[in-house]
Amino acid sequence: MTNSLRCPTRAEVVARVQAAGRRVAAVLPYHYPRALLRAHGFHPVEVWGPPGVPRDEGGRHFQAYTCDIVVRATSFLLRGGLDGVDAILVPHTCDALQGMGSVLGDFVRPTPPVLTLYLPRSRRPVDHEFLVAELRRLGEALAAISGRVPAPADWEAAFAAEDAADRALADLYARREGLAVTDREFYTVVRSREFLPAEDFVALAGSLAAGDPPGGVPVMLSGIVAEPLDLFDHLSAMGARVVADDLASGRRRVYPLQDGGDPHTRLATRLLGGPPDPTRGDPIAARARHLREQMGAAGARGLVIYDPKFCEPELFDVPLLRRHLSAAGLPVLHVEVELTGSLTQQTLTRLEAFVETLR
Amino acid sequence: MSRLGHLLGYRLAGRPLLRLQRRRDERRLDSLRSGPDRPLEPPLRSIARMKEMMSGHYLEGRHASGVRPVAWVTSGASTEILLTLGFFVIYPENHAALCGARRRAQHLCEVAEDAGYSRDICSYARTDLGALLSGETPVGRLPRPDLLLCCTNICQTVLYWYRVLADHFGCPLVLVDTPFQYGPQPQPHEVAYVRRQLEEIVPVAERVAGRPFSEQEFTAIVARAKEASETWLEILERARHRPSPLTAFDAFTHLGPIVDLRGEQATTDYYRGLLAEIDRRIAAGIGAVREERYRVLWDNLPIWYRIGPLSQWLAARGVNVVASTYAHAWGELAPLMDPLHPFESMARVYLHPILNRSAGQKLEAMRGMVDDFSADGVILHSDRSCKPYSLGQIDQRDGLVNQTGVPALLLEADHNDPRSFSEEQAASRLEAFVEMLGG
Ligand code: SF4
Ligand code: SF4
Repeated sequence: MTNSLRCPTRAEVVARVQAAGRRVAAVLPYHYPRALLRAHGFHPVEVWGPPGVPRDEGGRHFQAYTCDIVVRATSFLLRGGLDGVDAILVPHTCDALQGMGSVLGDFVRPTPPVLTLYLPRSRRPVDHEFLVAELRRLGEALAAISGRVPAPADWEAAFAAEDAADRALADLYARREGLAVTDREFYTVVRSREFLPAEDFVALAGSLAAGDPPGGVPVMLSGIVAEPLDLFDHLSAMGARVVADDLASGRRRVYPLQDGGDPHTRLATRLLGGPPDPTRGDPIAARARHLREQMGAAGARGLVIYDPKFCEPELFDVPLLRRHLSAAGLPVLHVEVELTGSLTQQTLTRLEAFVETLR
Repeated sequence: MSRLGHLLGYRLAGRPLLRLQRRRDERRLDSLRSGPDRPLEPPLRSIARMKEMMSGHYLEGRHASGVRPVAWVTSGASTEILLTLGFFVIYPENHAALCGARRRAQHLCEVAEDAGYSRDICSYARTDLGALLSGETPVGRLPRPDLLLCCTNICQTVLYWYRVLADHFGCPLVLVDTPFQYGPQPQPHEVAYVRRQLEEIVPVAERVAGRPFSEQEFTAIVARAKEASETWLEILERARHRPSPLTAFDAFTHLGPIVDLRGEQATTDYYRGLLAEIDRRIAAGIGAVREERYRVLWDNLPIWYRIGPLSQWLAARGVNVVASTYAHAWGELAPLMDPLHPFESMARVYLHPILNRSAGQKLEAMRGMVDDFSADGVILHSDRSCKPYSLGQIDQRDGLVNQTGVPALLLEADHNDPRSFSEEQAASRLEAFVEMLGG
């Protein structure tokens, strides 16, 4: 690594946070209110699979046609990977996570309570009003576990910390071209937002050295999650560089910030303010426009949509995104992977061939 | 021209021809006799009227553009508002099911797949997108929508799908988002959310229809929809009788009007007629399966392209699939409808379908149905392309076996795509299941 980047593991973070007397909530992908959790004394640690965990235990609850995020996360839970957390939050992102929240809550009944959050599928005033009430409901559920109703000072501190981290994340993207880091390093830091305490994330993001990033054919990455991180090594070996992203685990969670006002209203405004996203009901044309603009601004020559298999929210958009972007001279490659911890030769060959066409 | 086409093609020529066809069908049905070599009773005579209604509906659809405002809606959506404004309503899911039943779905799915739609997305969506892209449909032609109405109370898939339709047609897409019910009762903020969205349909639909909304007409339509749904539920409940006068496969076949034409007087009349016919069967001691030895509950969508062979196969072994969670979905909400408080009650109705309730509540509902229908076993169709209905079934199967003591089979298939159905595998699993029923 070009920087002396040291990022702790999720397990280390959990141990440290709990030793400091805070509760930990395991959170499934991907939109949720961090400041709400923090104000109620919870530290969120996200679970995106994790890759490499076998599907076996999860497969005893979900059919083979269920995506890896849900099945492997369930395996992880059943193998004790979430032992010791104080709550599991399953946002209603899609039908698969709906199934997971429901099966965990009704049948698996793990020791930590399972909380859910319904995310409205549009951004109208009526959705905002609903989300405010839904966040209040979630807050009450968290308070019932922690016995702690946040005081104004708790909210203030929570917003101060999480806003700083969100700003640092946005800033990281803004500084991308002036950072002397590889794609792997860059995304290691971006994704550390999934589990690092906000203050640590700000420090880590700020520690990246300025300079020229390595060169390569500029591409944009869309989809759910860039796992395994080896993907970036492979892309770099193929002569490509990721100059922008629209990943659920990345830029889709760069929310606009607001100051002041009722905390739940503020959080709802923030959550509904992110970029176009297939899980939020945004028009496909709006997504295509957003991608085109991002690609134009970053100079990306092509788009790789990189998804776990069986991800319906992503799959429906692919043909039209391809059409809209191709009309603008921007080629699209769609890749589906299993979160096994390594990439298949077939995937690598397809990526390589795509990068070749962009040269 | 479109008005003339509607007048000639539908009113003056089409409807009388369909009436004639219905009479021919009725005569043919009357000539069918049950016999020892036939495990199933001849189909209910009302099927001829049902075919007339549905064919008439699609025939009017061919000529509807420019004559009536056209809306495409999801099967769980609240069409009562649209009917009040004179919309002609198409249910793409019902159209896809029709393609499935007529064995046209695989080809249409392949058309969609050639256009880049993954084989892993819902086969209803693929079937309809294939029809859209190729212009091929067994109903002749579908009218172009002026409005799309999508309600998420069956799945999120419909919203992904309707976004594609909105992109294709460039018409307004109205969303009714219905928070998933993890708990037994909807929260007040959830009911308020759905109610407001239902109210917000009105100005958009008025604009498209070019006429004002009438509360009075709306109340009358909700009342008719309630009556039709109640009658539908009564029909399904008649299967508690031993032997059951109908099978779940009959129910799948007679489902069209309650899905597509709910709120129309003809639909209520049709179901009253069907109920009377079923009651005549009961009075005569006739069961739908000639020798009903075992009674089974079906979970999830039908396997549309195998309805006939599967019902024959099971009936030949004395198995009557007497009820299904799927067909009940259009009846069980009837008690929640209140024509005097249409928006408030519809908000509750549209939050409540089985597909919008948790896996545990669905197990509860199935357990109740096992008792109510004296079921000896349960077939859970694990439907590859309907994830919201299928996820949770593994635990539901275990729960059914442990809590009711009846055998339960997870049958792998797909509701519309025959490529995900293995005849041999299904037959051997079903053989073993029937043996367990006997044990
Ligand atoms: S990968 Fe797709 S289907 Fe799976 S949980 Fe994520 S958004 Fe849902
Ligand atoms: S996913 Fe299931 S509920 Fe949704 S449209 Fe397809 S078959 Fe219907």
